[in-house]
Amino acid sequence: MRSKEAGALTGVGRVREHSAAAVAGKYWAVFRTQLLNSLAYPLDLLGRSLLIVLFMWIFMNLWRVTYGATGESSIAGLTLADTMWYLMMAEAVMLSKHDLSETFSEQVKDGSVAYLLNKPFNFILYHFAAGLGDSLLAFGGNLLVGSAVVWLMVGPPPGLTGWIFAGAAVVLSWLLDFCFSALIGLSAFVVEETNAFRWIYQKFLLLLGGVLIPIDFFPAWLQTISLNLPFAWIIYGPARLFVDPSLARLGHVFLQQCIWLAVVGGIVWVIYRRVVARLVINGG
Amino acid sequence: MPAITVRNLRKTFQLKRKAAGLRGSLRALWRPTYESIEAVRGLSFEMDDGELLGFIGPNGAGKSTTIKILTGILHPSGGEAAVLGHVPWQERQALAFQIGSVFGQRPQLWYHLPALDTFYLFGKIYELDDSFLRQRISFLAEAFEIEELLETPVRKLSLGQRMRCEVAASLLHKPRVLLLDEPSIGLDVVAKQRLRATIQRMNELEGVGVLLTSHDAGDIETLCRRVIIINHGEIVYRDKVSALKRRYLTVKTVDVRYNEQLAPDFSLPGVEMVKVGRYGAKMRFDTRVTPVEPVISGLAAAGSLADVTVSEPSLEDVISAIYARTEV
Repeated sequence: MRSKEAGALTGVGRVREHSAAAVAGKYWAVFRTQLLNSLAYPLDLLGRSLLIVLFMWIFMNLWRVTYGATGESSIAGLTLADTMWYLMMAEAVMLSKHDLSETFSEQVKDGSVAYLLNKPFNFILYHFAAGLGDSLLAFGGNLLVGSAVVWLMVGPPPGLTGWIFAGAAVVLSWLLDFCFSALIGLSAFVVEETNAFRWIYQKFLLLLGGVLIPIDFFPAWLQTISLNLPFAWIIYGPARLFVDPSLARLGHVFLQQCIWLAVVGGIVWVIYRRVVARLVINGG
Repeated sequence: MPAITVRNLRKTFQLKRKAAGLRGSLRALWRPTYESIEAVRGLSFEMDDGELLGFIGPNGAGKSTTIKILTGILHPSGGEAAVLGHVPWQERQALAFQIGSVFGQRPQLWYHLPALDTFYLFGKIYELDDSFLRQRISFLAEAFEIEELLETPVRKLSLGQRMRCEVAASLLHKPRVLLLDEPSIGLDVVAKQRLRATIQRMNELEGVGVLLTSHDAGDIETLCRRVIIINHGEIVYRDKVSALKRRYLTVKTVDVRYNEQLAPDFSLPGVEMVKVGRYGAKMRFDTRVTPVEPVISGLAAAGSLADVTVSEPSLEDVISAIYARTEV
């Protein structure tokens, strides 16, 4: 009976089909809007990109000494140039990922999540599309500035395949990182303070993810641990692919990323559903 | 046919209680105690299609909770509600296409971008086709007088301009019902009037029903024909705004000016003299005690009248009178 009444009242005059294109168009528009939003602060963007210059300069000094001390031209199959290009890609990913956990946890704490729920889109996908828009610009800036510096230091970058493969893997990296951010942010529902989790996650990425040292340089046991954790596939995966763009490696990186994405993404989804259920019961 | 039906709506929040100090914290960790807060207690009302309904009450009265339930972002603890035939908390997404909402304290426009960018984004989110969206934007831009503002970053707009853009954004998908939660908060008098005028115009042009919460009585007085006043989660008054005035606006204030000097002991029976000057006076009387007619004739008999103004108490005064009455 109720639906009959609805029909009479809701004559808006336009048929909405909810086609896949229309739904994809929403998130594309969110992505685009975030891109514009990030472009509103070109200086901020440039400032973020300059950080990579400092990091690369430190790495260069560190690793030049290390390579000099060992007297080898390559360590674990990586030359000094490979290592520097690896680190450039690792830093570019690290510095461009969009940390949503803070936004999330604030929105969960003050209940403003609710206000994003009354629009016809999926909240998680909305944030991911927005995060991607922000990351893409920052990543572009970091790559541009970072490669210019590293080129001057150690010579030309890997070939085009490396750029394409790494670029593809980076998208999945962001997705995986986004899931972790969401997890940390949503944990605000149980604990008041999420900074500790954020700090731990960052350190895991730095050490076990291969931001500071390529995982290939680790002792065998630590390599095994690192490669069996998701953090390596956020940073190490695409960065290593960049300097060694083989199809076999590409397949392996993708497989690992997809497995972890399914695991962590699944957890996020379950928790998100519970958070929303609780939110609509108790208003945050 | 009502656009909104609410029957016996209830909402109880569970709040964690924690005693002060370390002991309290530890006890809360071990055995948390909860306190129930009844935000909405058995609310029932209807809003007709195309009606402008005012929903007023002090902070914490349950206005926002009710609006949140009606948009579907909050589950009630009991009772029923239907908005355009949808049960909001069960069909939130379907309903989202047919209602618009503005939460005065939660801006939805992207702060660093021109409003037009958010308008285009909303067009996609509400799955509007491009030609419809373009027509709609130019129509709303004209109705809200925001043509010149649309390409300025929102952060550079005044609060009043921003709020007009917010309301216009919420109407892009041509909703049948608009839920406005404190849209006039923080606005100056002129900005408030402009906002009210545009809301009224949209209601006349498109017949969009508006449920408006406010703690500014002026919003309700100028916009709404019917008003619901709630306090402590219950309805304390519901009727036409005019009836409200008639019932509670019995105290009249009269300002009078004469062409000649007044006697210093000027007074009228049953009228309280607030101030007596040389050429004029300000006085107050209750029409239930003193009829209007003898007062007016008494004023005319006192000398040659230059000007008379009779004013009624503001809706704020009325509301406090109602509260005073219900709390007794």
